[in-house]
Amino acid sequence: MKRRDFLKQTTFASGMFFVPQFLKAFENNSMKSFSNKKVVIIQLKGGNDGLNTVVPFNNDIYYQQRSNIAIKQNDLFKISDEVGLHKSLQPLQDLYNKGFVSIINNVGYPNPNLSHFRATDIWQTASDSNEYLQNGWVGRYLDYTKGNPYSAIEVDESLSLMLKGKTQNGLAITDPKMFYNSMRAPFFNNVVANYKDAHLSEHNLGYLYNTMIDAKSSAKHIYEQSNTKNTFAEYPKNIFGKQLKTISQFINSGLETQVYYAGLSGFDTHANQAGTQERLLKIYAESMEVFINDLQKNNAFDDVLILTFSEFGRRVKQNESKGTDHGTANNVFVMGKNLKKQGLYNDLPDLGNLDKNGNLTYEIDFREIYATILDKWLQVDDVAILNKSFSKLGFV
Amino acid sequence: MKSAHIQHLYNRIGFGITPKELARLSKKSKKNVVNELFTASNKTTVLKVDISFLKGKTYKDFKDKEQKKELQKISRKKVLELSTAWFQRLNNPSEILREKMTLFWANHFVCESKNILFVESYNNALRKNALGNFRDFTKIVSKEPAMLAYLNNKQNKKKSPNENFARELMELFTLGQDQYTEQDIKESARSFTGYNHNFRGQFTFKEKQHDNKEKTFFGKSGNFNGDDIIDIILQKEQCARFISEKIYTYFVNENINKKHIDEMVAVFYKDYNIEKLMRFVLLSKWFYEDENIGTKIKSPIEFLVGINTVVPYKIEKTRQIILVQRLLGQILMSPPNVSGWKTGRNWIDSNTIVTRLRLPSVLLNNAEIAYSEIGDEETMITNFKKRKLRRKAFIKVSADWNSFEENYKNNSNKELVHQIITSKINKGTEEMLERNQQLSKHDFVVQLMSLPEYQLC
Repeated sequence: MKRRDFLKQTTFASGMFFVPQFLKAFENNSMKSFSNKKVVIIQLKGGNDGLNTVVPFNNDIYYQQRSNIAIKQNDLFKISDEVGLHKSLQPLQDLYNKGFVSIINNVGYPNPNLSHFRATDIWQTASDSNEYLQNGWVGRYLDYTKGNPYSAIEVDESLSLMLKGKTQNGLAITDPKMFYNSMRAPFFNNVVANYKDAHLSEHNLGYLYNTMIDAKSSAKHIYEQSNTKNTFAEYPKNIFGKQLKTISQFINSGLETQVYYAGLSGFDTHANQAGTQERLLKIYAESMEVFINDLQKNNAFDDVLILTFSEFGRRVKQNESKGTDHGTANNVFVMGKNLKKQGLYNDLPDLGNLDKNGNLTYEIDFREIYATILDKWLQVDDVAILNKSFSKLGFV
Repeated sequence: MKSAHIQHLYNRIGFGITPKELARLSKKSKKNVVNELFTASNKTTVLKVDISFLKGKTYKDFKDKEQKKELQKISRKKVLELSTAWFQRLNNPSEILREKMTLFWANHFVCESKNILFVESYNNALRKNALGNFRDFTKIVSKEPAMLAYLNNKQNKKKSPNENFARELMELFTLGQDQYTEQDIKESARSFTGYNHNFRGQFTFKEKQHDNKEKTFFGKSGNFNGDDIIDIILQKEQCARFISEKIYTYFVNENINKKHIDEMVAVFYKDYNIEKLMRFVLLSKWFYEDENIGTKIKSPIEFLVGINTVVPYKIEKTRQIILVQRLLGQILMSPPNVSGWKTGRNWIDSNTIVTRLRLPSVLLNNAEIAYSEIGDEETMITNFKKRKLRRKAFIKVSADWNSFEENYKNNSNKELVHQIITSKINKGTEEMLERNQQLSKHDFVVQLMSLPEYQLC
């Protein structure tokens, strides 16, 4: 049987346009507490080598520990007498000079175990290193603000823990049109239309229906809303560029989403690091340049704060195969128009003071950055969301 | 035994049941049905792939950089092949309960490796011990090369203990969080020092790396080794409780009933016999209570294999088998981390629900599925040029509709509903199904499997 015939036979004109009352209410629900501030979170997946990204080019230890892979002064653009950025980040230079970039060094947490997955979970849930949380800090932000699913969007195929809350999940979406179309099948309409019990949500069946209804109505909303604005900026033709293009389209079309999450993979450079990192950082910087310019052109950059992190940095000493092994503390990039502290936020790591495994010791708990963003930027109760009180930083 | 109860039993210890089998079993008593399950799972059919590429390879070959790289490449492919073979096995198991238990243990003693020798050995260790003794099982797991590598126990040496395994052993494998101190972890790690394996994946004990001094663990002192530590851990009733809760969550209900758990602990703590515990659960009255029937969200594998029980199908390309698993959030042999897949409602998000509802049409009616490459969790995506940004795919599937026809020839569409779905059905959906009775049996069954209700078992 052909697919079209199948769909036809499972369609009922009578049910197709009927939408239950509570669904309508949901679709018209505008967030009263909506603040225009947005956060874009980017993860460099695999553990980016922060030391070869923000390079202490006057530090002898750096060159001693990394005889094959240390970045030479000529391959940097210098941002101070001591610090240069990897040449692949050149596209960020203009943004840096304008004061749109703040680099926070030595970010980490106590007792890291150097596992990608565990570290990613920790960054996503904002947990302690010996605590396993089933929900993410952005998910809990949704719980707290009673946000819609599309208040937080991950531009990806499946939803990360970061966007899963106790009562509300964010949305994973790569392409609004594809997402919308995949749910436009008449059969979906039919099933949704026939769902009459609004009180089932405490049961698994209710959860299934509600997730479907959430996805469906969000997909429609996002597709229709984001359709109003097309981006003409030329993004690099790679997956990351496409992700940022999708995010800019969402932001520029005025979608009421406050948190976006995207990632660039491939940073697990145990061997022959130089080429891989050079290529990946180039993809990152080129895409970011287009993205920020695109936002500026649409007068949207004022309200956007961009956070780039990696689940961990690399070991200070290079390994035997011109690569680096899993490490601990790392630098974090914050980008925005009205940063309170521009350029280097704090000092570079002290390479003379490593832990017993030869790793950097952290100075700033990553959750202080989250707390700052929640408190000062999104203006919500960070303690309620992070389950703990962290001191705030001065970058916004 | 009541049909609905047999269905429930087979949903939980397997992946559903055909009407023919159901009819056969419904003439038997509960005791006999359960007995038959265990008898059928008495033996173990190991899972294997062709690993002749390793024939004649020596330690030297693994030291040589170029050769090593090449061997690793083949090995990774072989792991995918084994993962696919596992999927096929689940679709056609002879030892159904053993296979389901293997799947359970794979999400308990969570481990991952890219070395085919290690993966094959590990996977079969889970299978062989799935219904055995938990004490022996834990000791075997602690010596499997895959686990020694995965949780860094082979880097655990007298001079520089690595606590990774010691921690997870207690936190995830035996006791649960907050049941031990950091000092217990340290002493336990010292006891496991010297554990290692050779390149062929055989366990070796490096006497020189082992810390031979006295350790104090859970209040006991002695020159303990790894096995001793496991014995001491198992003396705690909490271990029997932790495992009972996990089995209850997986096979019975995510909402723990303390009374039922107490009963299970009483059975399990005696001798840590997994088969006895499972017999007790499957023969208990409460296993068949309404609140436990049709209320569990199927894992992606349960969902995929469950469809196969109704309409046998075969996805032709390995790549697409993996793709489907990825879209649903569970790739066999590729767990997200050592704590495993988060189950229950965690299986369902906006994407996976849509994929699940569409998948029966994709698999059985040649529908198209859209996906993008972004979700590929490989940390090493090196060649972007080769990867397209977005794709639509026709998953190449051969569906055996004849077998469905044969199995369900005596069932009307109306009867089909409760053969396919064991959960309560939303009222509006029920009315919709009522109106759809005139659909062909093929379309009707695909429709049934495209409902939110079908996600439950």
